[in-house]
Amino acid sequence: MWQYIVKRMLLMIPTLIGAALVVFLLMQVVPGDVALLILGSDQGGDVNLAELDRLRANLGLDRPLYEQFFSWLWGIARFDFGTSLWSGAPVIEELWIRLPLTLEVALFATIISTLIAIPLGTLAAIRQDTWIDYLVRVVSIGGLGIPAFWTGILIILFLVIYFEWSPPLVFVPLWEDPWENFKQLIWPIVTVGYRNAAVAMRMTRSTVLEVMREDYVRTAWAKGLHERMVVIKHTLKNSMLPVVTIIGAEFAFLMGGLVVTETVFTLNGLGSFVVDAILHRDIPVIQTLILLTAFVIVFANLIVDLVYAWLDPRISYR
Amino acid sequence: MLKVGAALLSFVMLIGLWAAPSVLAGEQPRRGGIFEVALAGDPPSLDMHQEQTFMVAIPLGPVYNNLVMFDPHNYPQIVGDLAKSWTVSDDYLTYTFKLHEGVKFHDGSEFTSADVKASWDKILFPPEGVISTRRANYEAIKSVEAPDRSTVVFRMHHPSPSILGNMAHPANFIYAKKYLDSDVHYYKAHSIGTGPFKLKNYVRGSNIELERNPDYWKKDLPYLDGIKYYIIKDTSARAKAIRSGRVDVEFRGLPPTEAEGVLKQLGDRAVAAYPKAISNWGVSINVDKKPFDDERVRKALSLALDRYDMAKTVGPLTGLETVGALMHPDSRWALSSEELQALPGYGKDHQANLREAKRLLAEAGYPDGFKTVLTNRNVKLPYIDLAVYLISSWKKVGVEAEHKVEESATWSQTRVNRDFELLVDPYGSATVGDPDELLDKFVTGFSENFGRFSEPVADGLFKQIQREMNEQKRIQMVKDMQKSVLEKMWWIPGLWWTRVEVRSARIRNYEPQPSHWMNRRLEDVWLAEK
Repeated sequence: MWQYIVKRMLLMIPTLIGAALVVFLLMQVVPGDVALLILGSDQGGDVNLAELDRLRANLGLDRPLYEQFFSWLWGIARFDFGTSLWSGAPVIEELWIRLPLTLEVALFATIISTLIAIPLGTLAAIRQDTWIDYLVRVVSIGGLGIPAFWTGILIILFLVIYFEWSPPLVFVPLWEDPWENFKQLIWPIVTVGYRNAAVAMRMTRSTVLEVMREDYVRTAWAKGLHERMVVIKHTLKNSMLPVVTIIGAEFAFLMGGLVVTETVFTLNGLGSFVVDAILHRDIPVIQTLILLTAFVIVFANLIVDLVYAWLDPRISYR
Repeated sequence: MLKVGAALLSFVMLIGLWAAPSVLAGEQPRRGGIFEVALAGDPPSLDMHQEQTFMVAIPLGPVYNNLVMFDPHNYPQIVGDLAKSWTVSDDYLTYTFKLHEGVKFHDGSEFTSADVKASWDKILFPPEGVISTRRANYEAIKSVEAPDRSTVVFRMHHPSPSILGNMAHPANFIYAKKYLDSDVHYYKAHSIGTGPFKLKNYVRGSNIELERNPDYWKKDLPYLDGIKYYIIKDTSARAKAIRSGRVDVEFRGLPPTEAEGVLKQLGDRAVAAYPKAISNWGVSINVDKKPFDDERVRKALSLALDRYDMAKTVGPLTGLETVGALMHPDSRWALSSEELQALPGYGKDHQANLREAKRLLAEAGYPDGFKTVLTNRNVKLPYIDLAVYLISSWKKVGVEAEHKVEESATWSQTRVNRDFELLVDPYGSATVGDPDELLDKFVTGFSENFGRFSEPVADGLFKQIQREMNEQKRIQMVKDMQKSVLEKMWWIPGLWWTRVEVRSARIRNYEPQPSHWMNRRLEDVWLAEK
């Protein structure tokens, strides 16, 4: 098993380098650069061309492309992720400001959605075509059909208009002030968690229904086992493989894909940071964030594979 | 008995009503409190000399003093800040400033004229690797000298009527020489000034926190304990932050619809101001692309616009609501109503304008109009909303303009590369809208002349405008220059912007000024009780 894990981690490296190279080349093709934006032309302001050239030289944008890329790559090999062209701050510092918030939202949204989705999905399956099933299906379709950001906007508007209250604007880590942290993050967690729960709920329902039609489950019923025993011991574990896959994929998405939710709730997270970096053409930041996202996706897939092995003893890795 | 009681009560009420305005007018400044501001984004760095965005000017304005500044309570008068007084030589070539004494930087070190010289040398003659984004505004300054600890002398190449106003630009922070000497980029990541507030904390993407400078050299100031700027990128989210009381103000301005929502919800707990910003959104024409090299075509595009209707239509959505030429219509530089209406597209008879537009197009060889592309930035307010109106107006004379919307960085590149036919193009002033600052855009070869047109009459007039110290003569030259550009419609003016600044009614001793860059020191602002 350890050999398998090490092999997977090593295979990550060419994937990450490939992703970074693709992004770097794409950013060269896209018009505009960070120097133009720093000089305020995004404000519609005047652009002094002489100053523009000086700034481009300062930022190293006049170096050959291969030199820019390999210089960055060499830095990565030494765990130096470079400096933001926009802010001048180390990229790792910029990441570190935003990572805890994004991680917390992603983690709690995943946990809450899992805790809601699996029981409700299972209940809907074992009570198929009853009012419980219909209710769960309506709730899950609502979660799939309504964009998370729209739910977020409605929540914020409701709070602002009827209570003249909005969540705190500054992130306080959970371990420093749990109540302040809760006030800020509960709404985005619930909003995103609802959407994720909807996905997992539907998957759980359909996989449980499928497994319940298997011969061994019918045998269990025939033996006179209690419903709880049949569902929990024989059905659930065997239904979880696709559900775990979905949950893993959704978690990976949350680690950088919550741009609009972060905008709605004014969260200083990785999603809006990566969008800002793209809009600013801040190449070192974009490349590092892509690396991080790719790492999270690959790592999440690895965890999912390991969970498979735990759920299904027939699976083993070398 | 009852009658006596009622009379007494009435008398007491009358006394109260008479006294109340006097009490409010004589309201005493209240010390304490944290002033909270919604800010649209992070400063790229903390060095205002090297940056071009209000996202630096607003949060760092309270940390520094300038040499001279615009009076926060009497715009557009210029008053001394670190300068106690100044004299100007008769030939306008020497400006001598006497500085306040006993001023200290936040680290306790003494402020002297050497700091002013070092800061201005950095602005005027930036060393290798340093950007000075507004350097062109000070081309008239030859040198800066510090003959003694409390005197600074600016020597000029030539007289410049705008130089004092340019020097009062809010971006001209005075830095400490010792830090500039140690590292010319020191101020990109640090903030040590002489201002009423010190930088306490900065979390990128989140907030900037300033605390009161207890040793501020202006006695008894500031009143506030601190200022906190929350970085809220979304406009609607900033409006909601005011509605929920999380912040006291949004300094750049909200769209009219958002401002309305805030005022409706908060009632008399909020105050709105409508400063007329010195910003115009118009259209740049690439005169090297046919058919825009033909003056008749350019005039036709302007004639097709009913600017008065445009102001009524897009104004409530965007704040673009004032018709004018190339200088702000409320300024002394503005063309008179008669002069304005004589220009193509400003006459009040729009039907006649449309007929004339079609006639000109037919004469130019385009009786059925033509197709073109209007390149724009993907920002709804006011870029996209304005463009929609422009395009629909041009359709009436047969000009079919494709609306090509580009993301900001791409649009910036398009402007600089001149990769456009028509381009939605704003310009403006962060201070008082002096002709030197606004009209360089219409001069041959200047970088902001994106259409790259050349009007020798305008060029000649601009050179004189930069040096003419007689204001009446200068005003006439400015008017003539505007006419020379607009009679041939080298650039199509749109509308001037009115911004809406909504703030908490608790804020006292603060008046918004036309530009969102101005009056950000907050040294004598206080917050009334909740």
